[in-house]
Parts: sequence; C-alpha cells; structure tokens
Amino acid sequence: MAALAGAGARVGMNYLKHYGRQAISGRADADDLQERNASEVFRTFSELKGGPLKLAQMLSIDQSLLPPAYAKQFARAQYSAPPLSYPLVVRTFRREFGKDPREVFDTFEPEAAHAASIGQVHRATRDGRTFAVKIQYPGVAESLRSDLGVVKPIALQILGLRERDVAAYFREVEARLLEETDYEKELASATRLSSACAHLLQIRFPKYHPEFSNHRVITMDWMDGVPFDVFADGPAPQDLRDRIGQALWDFYAHQIHQLHIFHADPHPGNFLVHGDQLCVLDFGCTKSINSDFHAKQFAFLDPALETDPARLAAAMESMAILLPTDTPSQREHLVALCRTSLELLARPFRNGEFDFGDPGFMSAIYELGEENRKNDTLRGMRGQRGSADTIYLNRTFFGLYSLLTRLRARVKTPLPPGLVFE
Amino acid sequence: MDNRNRIVEAYTHHLREHGMPPHTVHAFCKSLGLSERDFFQEFASLDSVESAVWGEWIFGLAAKVSSGAEWKDFSARNRYLTFLFAFTESSLDWRSLMILRFSHLAPVASPPFLKAFEEHFKTFATGVIDHGLSTGEIASRGPLQALYPAVLYIHFRAVIAFLLKDESQRFERTDAFIEKTVAFAFDVIRTQAIDSAFDLARFLAPSAWGKMS
Repeated sequence: MAALAGAGARVGMNYLKHYGRQAISGRADADDLQERNASEVFRTFSELKGGPLKLAQMLSIDQSLLPPAYAKQFARAQYSAPPLSYPLVVRTFRREFGKDPREVFDTFEPEAAHAASIGQVHRATRDGRTFAVKIQYPGVAESLRSDLGVVKPIALQILGLRERDVAAYFREVEARLLEETDYEKELASATRLSSACAHLLQIRFPKYHPEFSNHRVITMDWMDGVPFDVFADGPAPQDLRDRIGQALWDFYAHQIHQLHIFHADPHPGNFLVHGDQLCVLDFGCTKSINSDFHAKQFAFLDPALETDPARLAAAMESMAILLPTDTPSQREHLVALCRTSLELLARPFRNGEFDFGDPGFMSAIYELGEENRKNDTLRGMRGQRGSADTIYLNRTFFGLYSLLTRLRARVKTPLPPGLVFE
Repeated sequence: MDNRNRIVEAYTHHLREHGMPPHTVHAFCKSLGLSERDFFQEFASLDSVESAVWGEWIFGLAAKVSSGAEWKDFSARNRYLTFLFAFTESSLDWRSLMILRFSHLAPVASPPFLKAFEEHFKTFATGVIDHGLSTGEIASRGPLQALYPAVLYIHFRAVIAFLLKDESQRFERTDAFIEKTVAFAFDVIRTQAIDSAFDLARFLAPSAWGKMS
C-alpha cells in the first residue's frame, strides 16, 4: 500500500513539474510526461506483484484504453516479477501436498524457470518425464480484492474515466482476475478446451496432471519451443509465419464461434512455437459467452452496416451502445464513431484473407483508441454502455491482431460459419 | 518416558484443557502420580516447566530443519525462511496455546515463561548469522552485529503476532508476510543502508552517541 501511495506521489510530482515547465516555457511535451508517469506506475506495479501486476498486464493488453507510453511500460510487466524463495515453494508444497517437492518429484529445480503472472514455473522430473510446475504466490487470492480497490482510483485517474460509467467494466475485470487465482478452475478449463481443440493439427497443448495439481499448484508437461515474441522478431521465413498465424487464427475462430468459450489472454508469453506448431500454455483467463450475445456481436460484421446508418443504429441499440436517452446529435456522433471503428476492426474479415504484415493496420487501431480517449464528446456522455461481455472479447481480438501483426502473417479469415449476410 | 518428559507433557495437556496452568505443584504431582521430590529434581517451579514447553518446541524445530538434506547448501536467508515456514506449519498444533499466551503480549515483552523459547531462538539465529557472515551474505559490522539475533527475535515475535491475527485461508497471508519481511531485512543487512543510517544517526545526535558508548 505504501508503495502505491509512493507512486501516486511521484505521478503527482511529475504533473507538478510538467505544469511548472508549461508555465515557464508556455508549452510542454505531453508525451514526455506520459512516458515518465508510465514508468513510475509501472515500477510500482512490478514491485507489488500479484494482483496489481495482473492488472498491469490486463491494461497492457487493452492498449486501446491506454496512451502508447503507458502501454509500452506495462507490456514489460510480465517479465519482471521477483521470484518466490525456494523455502516458500517448499512451504506451499507441504501445505498443499503434505510433502516436499522432492518427495513428489524425482528432481525439482529450486530456481524458477520463468515467472507467471501470479506465480512462477519450476522444472521437475519424475519417472523420466519432464514437468512444468506452476506455483501460485501465497495470499494472492486474498489480497487481490483489496489491491484492486487501491489500484482502481489510480487507474481511473490515469485513464480519465468516471467510476460509475465503467463499474460493469471493473466488475468484469475483477471477476476474471479472481478467477485466475483459482487453479482448480484453470485445470478444468485447460483440460476441457484442449480436448475440444484437439483436432486443430497445428495447435499443441501440454498434458495436464491433476494428480500433481491442486488449488495452488498446476502441473503440466514441460513444452520445448521458442517463445512467441522471439520467434516473431526472429528470421523465420514468410510461409512459416503464415502457417503459425493461420493456426492462431483458426484456434480463436473455433473457440469463439463454435465453443463460445475462449482463451482470453492472447499475449506473447502464453505461446511457444515448436517447429510449425503453436503451443498454448496458460488457460488462467477464459471467457464464456452465450449464443445470443455472440449473434448480436458478430452481426456487426455485416458489410451493409457500413453503408446503412439506420441498420447500424439498430444493431447498436441491440447492444445498448445507443441509449434511449441520447439526444439526436449524440446518436449521430456515436453512429459515426462506430462506423469508423467498424470499418477498421472488421477490415481483416472483408476479403476472406488479410495481410497483417502492414504495420499501418495496428497503428491505425492505436490512433483510433487515442482519438476516442481524447474525444470530449464521448467522455462527456453519461451512462454505462455496451455489454461487459465485450471487454474480454475485444481484448481477445485486440491481442490476436497484435500477435498476428507481430508475426507479419498472411491469414485466411473466413466469416464465422452460420453468419450469412445478404 | 522419563519424569521430565512426563511433566512437560502433562503440563501442556493441563494448559490446553483448562486454559490455565495447574494451581500448585502438589495438585499437579498428585494427578500425575509423582512425588514432589520427583518434580523438584527436574524443575524449580511450574513457570520453569512452561518455559521448557515453549523452549523445546523451538529447539526441536531448529534441530529438525537443520538436519534437512538441503540445509548445507542453503544461504542464511533460506535457512531463516525454512525455519519460519517450519514454524508456521507446526504452529497449527499450537495455535490455541499460542492464542492463550501470545495474544495479549506486546511483541517486545519478555515474560519468564518465554525464557527458553527466546534463548533457543537466539542460539539458532546466531548460527544462521554466522553462516551468513562466513559466506559474505551478511556484512560484518563489528559490535553492531551482536544485535542481529535480537533483531531477528523481534522479527520472529512480529511474525507470531501477524499469524495470530491472520484470518486468511490456511494462514497464507502469514507466509507472504514472512517472505516479504525476510527479503526486506536481508536486503537491508546486505547493503550499506544500516551503516549509512547509523552514520547519519551518529552525526545528528553526537550527545546521545556519547552516552551510549
């Protein structure tokens, strides 16, 4: 808590310096200020680990909400949590299994192989098999709620949002974050989703081991491979990039359109590339949607909406993006805004295939997010709009588009089966 | 079982059952079928029995953790953490007694019944610190480092205070408290922070320093 207060104070100081400089020189560099504030906030979040780190990650992927300077800092969060001491790992094992890790496994490496968002992963072997053992920081679930309570006003302040307008948003994020501390649920989701996606040939999942798992520990097979970002930024040939990209697209299309439950955490740390296969590592964050919401949401892919404002307005009313209390000029403003967003966000679906190698696409999305953020008319509008379900769906598409852009992949993007527009 | 162990065990049992020590040595011996002579050959008073109860707990824990297979390779920090986690694990059997004895105690208070408890802890802590000094993990600070075991004892008592107030599931927050405070403490004794703070204090309060030395 003290650390958070410290960050608040430092952010405040930066503002003072900023306005001080503005008063002297008549102008100041807003990007520069954001950059410095972002690094203060980031530093604090990474010191705190656990809940706030998770929130930082969450914000870092929803970059449309964040000015680019924040996004850049937050994106580093997943790599920089300090590790649990080995005695605490032993303690957790004794508490959960009644045994030391070296009694459960033949070998167990005392140093973590890598950090996970609310835990860390150790490498272990038993009977000739190699395992990845993910251990949760003790007390995370307990402190998450109170941490979020402290982070929330700071986040609202930074993002310039009104609490009551985003209450549903925060409730949804809080629910998903709390769910992520539930390793038993994660094990169930992982087992279910990996068997429901088993027919996707280029996607691999580790085998999960419930006999060595419980509500603070998850054990799965150790997966060899290259971290996704290392692969994407490396010298991989175009046809391999396309195949990995296609695997990623098909994986999400199947989950969202067929299963209606999906892995909602597409950030590079959750994937490995092995040969021409993509390994999916973490099912901590899954989101399920009902078919009614799915139908309404993907009705927006109808190309006719871009040219017919009346139909677009009707679709927006169905999702409560337009409210009955809106004035005609507010309606007009929102419909125009929605058309611009739609034109951009639905672009990959338009021609049955899309080349994510064009960096202009992602930067246009960032710019749109930045414009919306600065849009005073939009921020002046009252009321909760849209469905809280869209948060994680948007986040998933945003993450998917980011990953594909990083891969510079060309992928086939057929419309979801069952959606026929006339 | 020898008389000493019988006495310690019966005393612990009585304390658990009645929430208070036996009233007199006489009544206690009668219920045990021992003579007062047998009792006083082992202990000088009921208080010293209680001191043995708590002291032997700590002594046993210290012996158990330091005989572990990985102990030899552990740093001072990991040794201390291992002890504390063994303590919280073992405390599940002692929680009701601890609430009886510790919950109204200030963390710095040092009542007679904790005499052996404190001694055994400090002996253990001295061993941990000597190990840290020999590997360079803890910086040598001359006379100042004589205070380290006492500082660790205050920390240990703070852990107990935290544990007794902890309402989290399986007392997980106490584990986090231990992890974070030990990381902080060892970061401080490893770096020059203490020296700088000491130097500053000496500079600001020369008269106070004069009185101390």
